[in-house]
Amino acid sequence: MSQRNPAWWKSTEAMVAGILLIAMVLIGLVNPAFWSLDNLFSLARSNVVIGIMALGVLLIMISGGIDVSFPAFAVAAMYLVVRAMVDYELEGIVWPFLAATLIGAALGLVNAGLVHKLNMIPLIVTLGTAAMARGLLNGVVGTSNVNINKFPDSLIEVGKADLVTLTNAKGGTFGLTATVLVYLGLALMVHLVLSRTMIGRSVYAYGASPEAAKRVGFRTGRTLIFAYVTAGALAGFAGLLHSSMIWMANPRDFVGWELDVIAAVVLGGASIFGGRGSVLGTMLGVFILVMIKNSLILMGIDTTWQRVVVGLMLIAAVALTALRDRKAIV
Amino acid sequence: MKNFMSVPLLGVMAFGSAALAEGPVDVSNVNSELIETAEDTEYTIATVVKVDGIAWFDRMREGVEQFAEDTGHDTYMVGPSQADAAAQVQMIENLIAQGVDAITVVPFSVEAVEPVLKKARDQGIVVISHEASNIQNADYDIEAFDNFAYGQNLMKVLGEAMGGEGKYVATVGSLTSKSQMEWIDGAVAYQEENFPDMTLAMDRLETYDDANQDYTKLKEAFTAQSDITGIVGGPMPTSAGAGRMITESGLEGQVHFAGTGLVSVAGEYLENGAVEYIQFWDPAVAGYAMNMLAVAALEGRQDQIQAGLNLGLEGYEDLTAPDESAPHKLYGAGWVGVTSENMGEYDF
Repeated sequence: MSQRNPAWWKSTEAMVAGILLIAMVLIGLVNPAFWSLDNLFSLARSNVVIGIMALGVLLIMISGGIDVSFPAFAVAAMYLVVRAMVDYELEGIVWPFLAATLIGAALGLVNAGLVHKLNMIPLIVTLGTAAMARGLLNGVVGTSNVNINKFPDSLIEVGKADLVTLTNAKGGTFGLTATVLVYLGLALMVHLVLSRTMIGRSVYAYGASPEAAKRVGFRTGRTLIFAYVTAGALAGFAGLLHSSMIWMANPRDFVGWELDVIAAVVLGGASIFGGRGSVLGTMLGVFILVMIKNSLILMGIDTTWQRVVVGLMLIAAVALTALRDRKAIV
Repeated sequence: MKNFMSVPLLGVMAFGSAALAEGPVDVSNVNSELIETAEDTEYTIATVVKVDGIAWFDRMREGVEQFAEDTGHDTYMVGPSQADAAAQVQMIENLIAQGVDAITVVPFSVEAVEPVLKKARDQGIVVISHEASNIQNADYDIEAFDNFAYGQNLMKVLGEAMGGEGKYVATVGSLTSKSQMEWIDGAVAYQEENFPDMTLAMDRLETYDDANQDYTKLKEAFTAQSDITGIVGGPMPTSAGAGRMITESGLEGQVHFAGTGLVSVAGEYLENGAVEYIQFWDPAVAGYAMNMLAVAALEGRQDQIQAGLNLGLEGYEDLTAPDESAPHKLYGAGWVGVTSENMGEYDF
């Protein structure tokens, strides 16, 4: 939190932003095509879904927990809604997203109940609920992709909506997706709740020390429910948004996203032990991760080396924040 | 003598019912002699696939089930709900314990299934594999086609669409996916020989059999080198990822695509012109062929299962065994090319 540090340039956010800028300049030097509007728009687009999920994970990490179930919740909400729309020939925009959000929230409530009532370790709880959500989805509902030929048109319209549409030299068109606004709006909301409301402050207090939070009078059960339900809701919403942006619903989607999203949140300065983290930092962390992953071809790195480079860059970035943490403690 | 008489009769009967059965596999010319059995013989043959529930293996199940209807054997298909080598091994273990007569398998990872398939063969279970040309522990491996030739055909179509010039990119699901790498080897070799004015723009893109990855990587490749005009796609989801990228960027007709794909996945893009050509092989026929070989091997007709064998299924009329050191690896020529013209014939 920036309030703890006297000068803004010593804040985590400033540091992450600095890393981001350096990386951008380096990538731009290797291939100037990086700075083309087409590429920047497509980067912004890649941020949306992973960013919304990261907001939820941020809440849980501030509360001192960890969540590996959100990809499973996202896919469950997304696939249930799309399947229902296809099977019953339903169209619409608002209600599908509302339904997906509610499904995610309900699943998040299961996490909250297990963590709070049974006092179980969040990692184990979310591993379990993730496996169950995926297993039930694939076992009961099905495992077949909904391809573009059956995918609801109303959702495709959502994914296709652009804020601006431009034409490139080749005569092709490119645009800035309108879903970026949704992402920014949600980020602002989470930021305001975290910094301006009692429930938001209680998440920080609980993450720093659950016992202390209880003693000063926070109702910690409510805090946990808030964190896990919000994270589930954001995951469900992001899941459906993802499928409307890729024009298909794959019931096995989001495998391996846990690591990417958690890495992005940690990259953005959230502490894995709870009590620290900010929306701005998380958004910057997500941007760094997405940018690195989506610039490897641009930089001409061999396919075989791409994974190595991603790993190295992540370790380097996280090491920098770890160094900062050590200094902060001293 | 009684047996001798009843066998052809049963063959005719099986053939008769085959013609009546409604199935995706055209069995009007099927080699029924190869799979005829004594009247009371009913084999249990399990087909184990990489992953259950995707369109591809749904279609293979139709072929496997049609085989059961046509012949009266107990044939069925199983597969893990997620593409997972360990889960597939576990399934084969279970089948061995159940005592099936034969296992036909489409391995997720050939290396991972070798030990368990060896165990199966040691217990007298016949093992037939598909999409596994480097397998050791199988009685027979049947490939729908020679991978190299499949890739050559993709490039033939792409090169003609591109007018024999320009840059192209190639995708594979994974750099360790042997068959897809061989398709692209074939495509690149064909390009070098027949379209000298074309160039491969960059290293093969690895897209993890995920259409969204295909989209992202292709988009980035086109940003990195804006003069790319062709895509040769190895994995099936590339047809959807490339289709979306071309549609979204309005590049229909300027960027050409030839690659593996199914009508259910890429049909929309064939219609709107973003994708011009997709190629696949019919998994139903492959499933049917595997089961035919399993029955033939169980019946001891090993002398017939060799190069030149005609299964009587489309694309499997004249099997070849190009590798002399491994005569149990048989190849058909069973690929199917689809354009907007003939896409209506395929509903999967």
